[in-house]
Amino acid sequence: MRSIRGWRTGLGAAALAAALLLGVGLVWAQTLKVSQSNQQFYPEPNFASNPVGPAPVGAHVKVLETKGDWYRVEYQGKKAWLHRQAVPESPVFVPGQVGGGPVKQVKSDEVALAGKGFTAEVESGYRQKNPGLNYAQVDQIEAFRVDPGRLQSFIKEGGLNP
Amino acid sequence: MRRIQGATIAALAGLILAWGCAGPEGSGPSLSGLTGLVPLPGAAQPAAAIVTKAGAKAVDASRPITPSEEYYIGRAVCARILAKYPLSQDQALTLYVNEVGRTVARKSNRPDPYRGYHFGVLETSEPNAFACPGGIILVTKGLVRKCADEDELAAVLAHEVAHIVNQDGINSISRARWSEVLTTAGAEAARQYGGVAGNLVTLFESSIDDVFKTIVVNGYSRGAEEAADREAISILTRAGYNPAALASLLGRMGSGGGGIMRTHPPTADRLAKVKSQSAAAQPGKMEEVRTKRFKEQKI
Repeated sequence: MRSIRGWRTGLGAAALAAALLLGVGLVWAQTLKVSQSNQQFYPEPNFASNPVGPAPVGAHVKVLETKGDWYRVEYQGKKAWLHRQAVPESPVFVPGQVGGGPVKQVKSDEVALAGKGFTAEVESGYRQKNPGLNYAQVDQIEAFRVDPGRLQSFIKEGGLNP
Repeated sequence: MRRIQGATIAALAGLILAWGCAGPEGSGPSLSGLTGLVPLPGAAQPAAAIVTKAGAKAVDASRPITPSEEYYIGRAVCARILAKYPLSQDQALTLYVNEVGRTVARKSNRPDPYRGYHFGVLETSEPNAFACPGGIILVTKGLVRKCADEDELAAVLAHEVAHIVNQDGINSISRARWSEVLTTAGAEAARQYGGVAGNLVTLFESSIDDVFKTIVVNGYSRGAEEAADREAISILTRAGYNPAALASLLGRMGSGGGGIMRTHPPTADRLAKVKSQSAAAQPGKMEEVRTKRFKEQKI
C-alpha cells in the first residue's frame, strides 16, 4: 500500500484533524528530508522574502509548524520556512478522511496532481521523456543570487530609484 | 486495502470538485492577473461543467493556470532554449545583467512572481531575448553588444519583464488545451492517485510547444509587443532609467532578418509609437556613471 500509514492513536488523529479543519498550523515532531535541489530557507512563508540560506539535498529538517504550502522548520539550530516543493514526498492530510478512525495520508504530489495540472512530478516525467533538455543550466540560472545589499548599492550608484 | 483506496479516491474526487473552482493557491475574483492566478484567454466567464475522460465526474474547467504551473512551464521553455543556445559562464556579465534586470523587475506591476526573476546570458552573437513564463529572462550576448549603454540594456530587460507581467507566453496555450489538462488531471488523479500521469506529461509537452513557438519561433502578436513596450516605458520611468532608451535601441535595430527581428520586429509603426510615448523623457541622473559601468563589461 503506497504511503498510507495510520496515526498511532485515534486521539492524536482527531486533534490533528480538528486543527486541519480549522486551518490552524500544526505542530508536531516530524523530520523531513530535503530531496529537491536548489531549495532555500526563507525568513517568511513566501518567496518574496530574501532567502536566508540554502537547503541542501539530503538535509533533515524538523517541522515546527505548517502554513499552507510552507513548513516552519529547524535546521542546524536555526529556524526558517521551507516550501513544500523541497520535500515533495512529505505527507499531507486529506480532508474528508477525518470523520473517524485513523487519518489517512497520501503523498503531497498526489494531492497536487488532483488540484494542479503541471507539477514537479509532471516536470520529472517531461525530463525523462526529453533527456536532451538542459535543465542543469535552468537550475544554474535560478541558483544565481544577487546580494540585496549589493543591489541597493548598484541602484544608488547609478542614480536610480530604490 | 481496497476499502482504503476507495475512500482515498473518493476524497481526491472531492478535492478535485472543491479546487476546480478555487485552486489551492488562492480563490476569489481578485486573485487573477497581476496579483495571483494567471487567466487564460476567454477564461473570465464561468466554464460549463465538462465530463472527465473517465466519464464519471463533471469538473469545472475554468481554473486558471496557477503561478506554480506557470513556473514549471517557464522552466521547460528555458530548458528548450538552453538546448539551442549555451548559457554564458561569464559570472561578471551575468551578475551585471541580473543587477540591471532586477532593478527594473522590482518596478514592474508584477515584482514578485512565484520564484522571482532570474536573468541569464546566452552565448551567441544572434541578437535576441526571451521571457520564459514565470520569471526567467534570457538575453543573448549579441543583443547586449547591440546596446549602447546600460539604459538600453535596461530597456531590453524591461520589455521582457513586461511580457512576463502580461503573461504573453502563457497566453499562447489555448483554452482548449488547458481544459484538456484539467480534465486529464482530474481523471488521472481519481483513477491512479500515485505517480505521474502519462497523459499530463504529453499535454505538458504540447503546452511547452505552444509557448516555445510563440516566444522563439513566431514571435508575439503586434498588440502584445506594443503593450510590452508601453509597460517597459513605465518600468524604465519608475526605475529611474531614461525611457527614451527603448526608442533609441529600436531605431538602430533596423528590420528584417532572424532572431529578435522576427520575434520582436521593430517596425516603423512600433518605433513611432514608442517614440511618442517617451517624447517628454529626460535623461536620468547619473547616466554617465551607468554608461561607464556598462562599457566596463567585457562582452
